[in-house]
Amino acid sequence: MKRTIKLRINGSEHELAVPANALLLDVLRNDLHLVGTKRGCDMGTCGCCNIIIDGRAVNSCLVLAFDVEGRDIQTIEGVTASADDDSIHPLQEAWAECGGSQCGFCAAGFIMTVHALLENEPQPNRAGIAEALGGNVCRCTGYKKILDAVELAAGRMAATT
Amino acid sequence: MILPTFELHHPTTITELVEIARDLTAQGEAFDYMAGGTDVLPNYKNRLNPRPHVISLARLAGLDEIGVDRIGARALVDDLARSSVLSEHYPGLVEAARSVSSPPLRNLGTIGGNLLLDTRCWYFNQSEFWRESKGYCMKADGDVCLVVPQKEICYATYSGDLAPVLLVLDARVTLVGPDGERTVPLREFYAFDGITRFLKGPAELLTAVDIPSSSRELRTGYRKLRMRDTIEYPVAGVALALHTDGDKVGRLEVAVTGTEAIPLWYGDLDLTGQPATPATAEALQEALVDRVTCYRNVPFPPGYRKAMTGEYARELFSALVG
Ligand SMILES: Cc1cc2nc3c(=O)[nH]c(=O)nc-3n(C[C@H](O)[C@H](O)[C@H](O)COP(=O)(O)OP(=O)(O)OC[C@H]3O[C@@H](n4cnc5c(N)ncnc54)[C@H](O)[C@@H]3O)c2cc1C
Ligand code: SF4
Repeated sequence: MKRTIKLRINGSEHELAVPANALLLDVLRNDLHLVGTKRGCDMGTCGCCNIIIDGRAVNSCLVLAFDVEGRDIQTIEGVTASADDDSIHPLQEAWAECGGSQCGFCAAGFIMTVHALLENEPQPNRAGIAEALGGNVCRCTGYKKILDAVELAAGRMAATT
Repeated sequence: MILPTFELHHPTTITELVEIARDLTAQGEAFDYMAGGTDVLPNYKNRLNPRPHVISLARLAGLDEIGVDRIGARALVDDLARSSVLSEHYPGLVEAARSVSSPPLRNLGTIGGNLLLDTRCWYFNQSEFWRESKGYCMKADGDVCLVVPQKEICYATYSGDLAPVLLVLDARVTLVGPDGERTVPLREFYAFDGITRFLKGPAELLTAVDIPSSSRELRTGYRKLRMRDTIEYPVAGVALALHTDGDKVGRLEVAVTGTEAIPLWYGDLDLTGQPATPATAEALQEALVDRVTCYRNVPFPPGYRKAMTGEYARELFSALVG
């Protein structure tokens, strides 16, 4: 049986009807068509579905939608350089420049995780970035280019603030 | 993966929660509590003993404080890992928290869920399709153990990282249920069997973990064996707590995880009065390996896991002597 749920995603309020057992990942992708968030392992082991809830990166495949009513949810669709337009974020720019993604499937999860990290710690060192990315798996890049991209973006973001 | 259907309850106070639990119990309806859901939801996805009702703790107020004496059951593992007060007094607990699962999972997982984690086994943590083709075991849907078929108990492996450290610190847990509140030493909370696991009524809610002030004299440490450095459960883990009296062992506490169906505190392993030297570290290694048993139901061979508990105990002892 479906019930009404109110979710705040990327600053906008959404009201829809979903069943009690709905996972946040499914609501994002199937009901709200925010398909930037990817379903990988569906068991919390790959990080492809990572989003940000109240400033913390979490696996959306292991979150019940009804558990996060009233919380602040951010997905890759909300990651832009400026709040007024959809220009690409320095992290996305650096990802493209450094070759941080090849097949691209894991990229949104990585970027959301790092986005949360940089909010709390704008200048992490390489080991700190690697530690924060301990829940994200990439099968193409070998991770070096991802770490390069985060360092590049963090440096640029620090220089402009 | 679509979850099985269940009715979801969202109490906002403990009183409301206890009422829901009492009503469901009276109606004969089975339920699970769910805190972070990082154990409950993967198991539900695999159709491992799902219940028709889930009581979520997501909207419960409080129970998330972190102090030197008391930690609320809903405190996030990530907050334990970053706690300055814990790192000052109980660095071993912080090391263990930092080694749990992965950073995003630590942002969901709680200390309560960690202590009450379900046990793990190759024949259990599999999809419904896998289990159906292999044949079900008695922990879910079947009636035999596929690891030790001649026995009538389950040997699935307890795989939580925080319990061994809390055992060496002699922590107590507070439980609240329809029959009131009680506090139990963690050392008496777990009971061997991979299915029943602990002495907790199904309606009892874990509210807090208390650490006695007498444990502040202890230096603590934790080491774990796992397949890779992140996203992996311990398949052998050792927590040590040590107080030295001059150059002798004043108090030594040892506990392990990832070996049997429950985390184990070795109260009989007494090295009080022994010199705090490498020879005593080796004696500890030998004594621990003698006591540890592992079963063939998680990664790495049992003999290797058993040997590694000894290695870790020796290393930790030397590190804590300093
Ligand atoms: C990929 C992956 C890797 C993992 N690796 C590790 C690891 O390395 N080490 C480790 O220790 N764990 C690991 N975990 C397990 C888990 O993430 C953590 O143990 C976490 O702390 C569990 O907490 P939770 O709040 O998510 O538990 P939940 O899933 O909410 O609950 C777990 C159990 O506890 C019960 N419960 C929870 N809170 C209460 C309460 N207050 N009162 C009564 N009952 C309660 C639930 O009913 C359930 O039976 C891993 C999980 C995944 C998915
Ligand atoms: S130890 Fe035996 S009963 Fe327990 S989960 Fe494994 S196969 Fe099943």
